Amino acid sequence: MESSDEAAVEKCRIHLRPGTLRDAAHATLHLLPCEVLVIGPAPVERFFTPAIRQGPDGLEVSFRGRRLRGEEVVLPPGLEGYVMVMEEKGEVLLGKDFSEGSSKLREQQELAAPPEALERDFDQFIRATASFSRFTLWGLETIPGPDAKVRGALTWPSLAAAIHAQVPED
Amino acid sequence: MDCGNGARARQHVFLLPEYLKDASKKMKSGLMFVKLVNPCSGEGTIYLFNMCLQQLFEIKIFKEKHHSWFINQSVQSGGLLHFATPMDPLFLLLHYLRKADKEGKFQPLEQVVVDDMFPNCILLLKLPDLEKLLRHVTEEKEIDKKKYYKYSKEKTIKWLEKKVHQTVSALKTNNVNVGARVQATAFFSGDQVSSDKEEDYIRYAHGLISDYIPKELSDDLSKYLKLPKPSASLPNPPSKVAAQRQKRGK
Repeated sequence: MESSDEAAVEKCRIHLRPGTLRDAAHATLHLLPCEVLVIGPAPVERFFTPAIRQGPDGLEVSFRGRRLRGEEVVLPPGLEGYVMVMEEKGEVLLGKDFSEGSSKLREQQELAAPPEALERDFDQFIRATASFSRFTLWGLETIPGPDAKVRGALTWPSLAAAIHAQVPED
Repeated sequence: MDCGNGARARQHVFLLPEYLKDASKKMKSGLMFVKLVNPCSGEGTIYLFNMCLQQLFEIKIFKEKHHSWFINQSVQSGGLLHFATPMDPLFLLLHYLRKADKEGKFQPLEQVVVDDMFPNCILLLKLPDLEKLLRHVTEEKEIDKKKYYKYSKEKTIKWLEKKVHQTVSALKTNNVNVGARVQATAFFSGDQVSSDKEEDYIRYAHGLISDYIPKELSDDLSKYLKLPKPSASLPNPPSKVAAQRQKRGK
């Protein structure tokens, strides 16, 4: 949703396929303390995962010869994590969610707002490919601990709820 | 595992409210990301609409230097974490009401919420209970069973004051350190010093709310709350100053 994608969405809408939220398989996520300037497949299960050890006060692993120390971060209650991917334009959709048959689809669409009013030709689609409720947070040499910035960010939803809750009328 | 086509595409890591998953059973569509005006900076920002439950969410991005994700058998640079949290649509409506107020007359809402740059703003008109919401920030007139609205600064300031107090309570229950002057954006880079004076809580809450209203209104609110003027040693972050300058230049 950052720079590259953003230019395309001035007017268009990016529809999130609701069914993919339910069908997303669980994913294993690690947040690394370094920038790997790549997007793509990586044999995590071959090199990284088997090297993770339970140390005296947390997890330990090494990556590119550097020692990482880590801990599990569980998402705050009421939140669900998702990995999402934009669909290519004109992508042929396989998988059960989209092969259900259009008549059944149309029936169910009656429950929501009429789709023709919301989806236009030039719109884009995004889908959840995986879900998670925890991830492993890694620090260089030391465990990130309670002061880690990402932990602070995770308290944002509870504060946002208060900022945006309706106020009573006079 | 999952290392087919998907792994080559950019992957976005999101945190969504859990109930969207259950709500999605009733939906075949209507969950969508759109770009709308940011009521603070005036720039385009991504929001999430749930047209089925008729809700608006804002998207905030956690971004820290030198991070990457391993997602199953793939690597995703950047280490971004996107948060979707419920947003009070009144902040966005307020942007349009203040703009329309320059004409100084009562107008129907569909003449107020118009935007060449972000035409998706019409989706805001589909949200429920707008009439009730608008009472907080507008004077209204009814002619031939049609409602006409006009921005009221006095009412808006009182509404914002309630928001500040509501936020102060949440800061206290969440044990947030409020020593430094902070804004919601700064929440994501977390530079906080501990302190617990009531005035600090109000100033902190004012800073959080100020991320949803233009600078002018934020200053008025600050005066109303009798907050001391920020000292020169705590200037606005450069990004924010730039955004304001750009807005004024328009």
